[in-house]
Amino acid sequence: MNFNLALPDDILLSIEKPERYIGNEVNSVTKDKDSVDIRFAMCFPDVYEIGMSHLGIQILYGMFNSYKDVWCERVYSPWIDMDAVLRKENIPLFALESQDPVKDFDFLGFTLQYEMCYTNILQILDLSKIALLAKDRTWDDPIVIGGGPCTYNPEPITDFFDIFYIGEGETKYREIFDLYKKAREEGTSRTVFLHECAKLQGIYVPAFYDVKYKEDGTILSMLPIYDDIPKVIYKEMCLDLNETFYPTKPVVPYIKVTQDRVVLEIMRGCIRGCRFCQAGQLYKPLREKDVEHLKELAIEALKNTGYEEISLSSLSSSDYTRLPELIDFLIKSCNEKKVNISLPSLRIDAFSLDVMSKVQDVKKSSLTFAPEAGTQRMRDVINKGLTEEDILRGSHEAFLGGWNKVKLYFMLGLPTETDEDILGIGDIANKVAVEYFETVPKEKRNGRTIDIVASTSFFVPKPFTPFQWAPMNTKEEFLEKADKTRKGIMSQLNQKHIKYNWHEADASMMEGVMARGDRRLNEVILKAYKKGCIFDAWGEYFHFDVWMETFKECGVDPFFYTTRVRKEDEIFPWDIINPGVTKAFLLREWKTALSGQKSSNCRQQCLGCGAASYGVGVCFKERT
Amino acid sequence: MNRLRLKFSKHGPIKFLGHLDVMRYFQKAIRRAEIDIKYSEGFSPHQVISFAQPLSVGATSDGEYMDMTVNSMTSVSDVMDKLNAVMNEGIKITAIRELGEHDEKAMTAAYAAKYRICFRERLKPDFDWINEFEKYLRQDKLPAMKKTKSGEKEIDMKPMIFEYSLDAENECAELLLSMSSAATLKPALLFGAFFNSLGKELSTNALDVHRIDIYRYVEDGNNKYTEPFITDDINTRFMLNG
Repeated sequence: MNFNLALPDDILLSIEKPERYIGNEVNSVTKDKDSVDIRFAMCFPDVYEIGMSHLGIQILYGMFNSYKDVWCERVYSPWIDMDAVLRKENIPLFALESQDPVKDFDFLGFTLQYEMCYTNILQILDLSKIALLAKDRTWDDPIVIGGGPCTYNPEPITDFFDIFYIGEGETKYREIFDLYKKAREEGTSRTVFLHECAKLQGIYVPAFYDVKYKEDGTILSMLPIYDDIPKVIYKEMCLDLNETFYPTKPVVPYIKVTQDRVVLEIMRGCIRGCRFCQAGQLYKPLREKDVEHLKELAIEALKNTGYEEISLSSLSSSDYTRLPELIDFLIKSCNEKKVNISLPSLRIDAFSLDVMSKVQDVKKSSLTFAPEAGTQRMRDVINKGLTEEDILRGSHEAFLGGWNKVKLYFMLGLPTETDEDILGIGDIANKVAVEYFETVPKEKRNGRTIDIVASTSFFVPKPFTPFQWAPMNTKEEFLEKADKTRKGIMSQLNQKHIKYNWHEADASMMEGVMARGDRRLNEVILKAYKKGCIFDAWGEYFHFDVWMETFKECGVDPFFYTTRVRKEDEIFPWDIINPGVTKAFLLREWKTALSGQKSSNCRQQCLGCGAASYGVGVCFKERT
Repeated sequence: MNRLRLKFSKHGPIKFLGHLDVMRYFQKAIRRAEIDIKYSEGFSPHQVISFAQPLSVGATSDGEYMDMTVNSMTSVSDVMDKLNAVMNEGIKITAIRELGEHDEKAMTAAYAAKYRICFRERLKPDFDWINEFEKYLRQDKLPAMKKTKSGEKEIDMKPMIFEYSLDAENECAELLLSMSSAATLKPALLFGAFFNSLGKELSTNALDVHRIDIYRYVEDGNNKYTEPFITDDINTRFMLNG
């Protein structure tokens, strides 16, 4: 335990939740800093409760600390109140375990999970007193490295990073650490070290790539400045998830965090191919973990943490082939231990309802469907397999089982969307209500009734999806569509049983700019940060007007990135990266979408997306 | 089935844990230690544990208490060893006593608490507070405004201070203060009123509070006294009848 905190008691007592900053949690790792060669500060650029809920950091934290010569610590964004104190008292940002300044570390790694965290990266660098721009850094600064889904288009933040690691973190860090040790022992320059890294698969050093633009503002070329580094960066991927490191001693926070339970990752990748979904493409091909291996991991992690809940994690847990066996095992062993099981992302059917009735309080829990669109036509365009019949049949069975709360998730602003699709949202919600009244006779309702929540988010086209060519709606279009949705729901017979929620349109627009942005956004982000923008992902701190003003000052048109119609052969900023799926496949899917056709999933038929080149996973399993 | 009373200490960074988080911490530790804890009935069963008195955030302690009920155990020392093996250094079980059937819960049996109070390094008063405090405590009445559910009321703190000693060299005060459902005197209220009596304001978080122990009330024949929940030392007793 580290009794020497970076902050004096009176400061810790004057801010909200001091437990965010004191480290020393159960299973956190403390080493002797003089006995290691590499000190790695791993950062999730958001508040502690969010960052501590992230599985990826727990994996890399555990793996790095299993190396004798590395000590990995954690850093999260100081909340607004702490941010102010650190600036006022001129206290440098510190890592949680040693409470030492982040600037003293060899590496500072960021996981980039959503676009709206970009100004928080600058906050961390700034509070750590690390040069904000990679070009200004020396060996006195850590190597700043980014990973996670946003690095599949890292172009808007290339100025702030020395390295982007593209793909799954388990595979290449050992080599990077060895290169680093060698460089420091031999006294080579930072640039030479980065050059060596850039030769590794999955490693993108943006400073070594030169971008040229056409007159219309699109990209002409992105070329390496050295001959011996790749022109395209291929993602890194674990070929065998049973052999790879998995944390069974995750750090257990003192305060309640968002994901306050053991998380058991059962597989990576997804067979479904929903056309709006980025994760579905990035993590292809689907790779399952062995069920016996998972049973061991579950028991071990519960024993080591003392958590009272375990959750399965994957993009679509119903697609895990040994799910019934795994859940049977968990129900048996968890019952003895009084551990709860939480099962997100399960398709609602007889099997899942049976399981849910065993592990949840039916009266309190709700059913979740994500039809994503209001009509079958629209669902075919986005390749979302769920039909109205599925929803109504699932609801019917659930109502018989005692459920009476239903959550429905939709998107507005999808390509080819018409008023009919928008009004279809109210239709489906109403049909679910009708299903309830028909299924549960009045005398069996016991004073309860149906309770439906319909939520819409605004569709943001993402790189490496078939919809990467799609123009995004404007804020005005979004709000008009939300209004139509609301009116559509209000006009339903059972409208008083349906509650409607919709997202902020401003935040969606910003996300759209960043998602498909290019290097010219670096300046905008830096300037917006200097004007005080941080925690943009938190509605109450997101200053849309400041961002708009900054775009203007930088001479950058945000609509270039959102509403513009992209040509089929346009070179995208993210074409420098190859996640396994080919651009030809995505284009094929885009055209299939526009023709209103569905595509099969990976278990039915191979679509030739390109991910088979990794030589593993569902691509090589028998098809049904 | 056994009812146990555990005494534990709280030091270092752990002092920043709020009461609810300490509870959550223990719930997980009990699972890690695989103690055969009793669970309540119902759809969401919870461990049968309860705490004597919440300690304010920022305070350390050598005398916190938690009651728990186990279905089975080999011995109290085994429970103690198993728990300490999975605890952070900052929280340590220092004693366990098995309770009788008729023993009250720690929460209801608490009668007083002993504190050692100093000032935090950066917030030390700019006057000889020990000297002033001694004069203050010698008064017959020590009025203070105490916040209640319905507003504020004036109370006299004097009968709630059982004993005190002042250490000028280390600039700290040891106080045995009333802490029961009938009357509780918190160090912050006492020091706030003391500062006010000098026309000064006690700054927030200035007090460095250490709880030495929590005391229970005992009637033994004609003797009435208060003593730590778990103790073998007769000298720790504070006689209440003269």
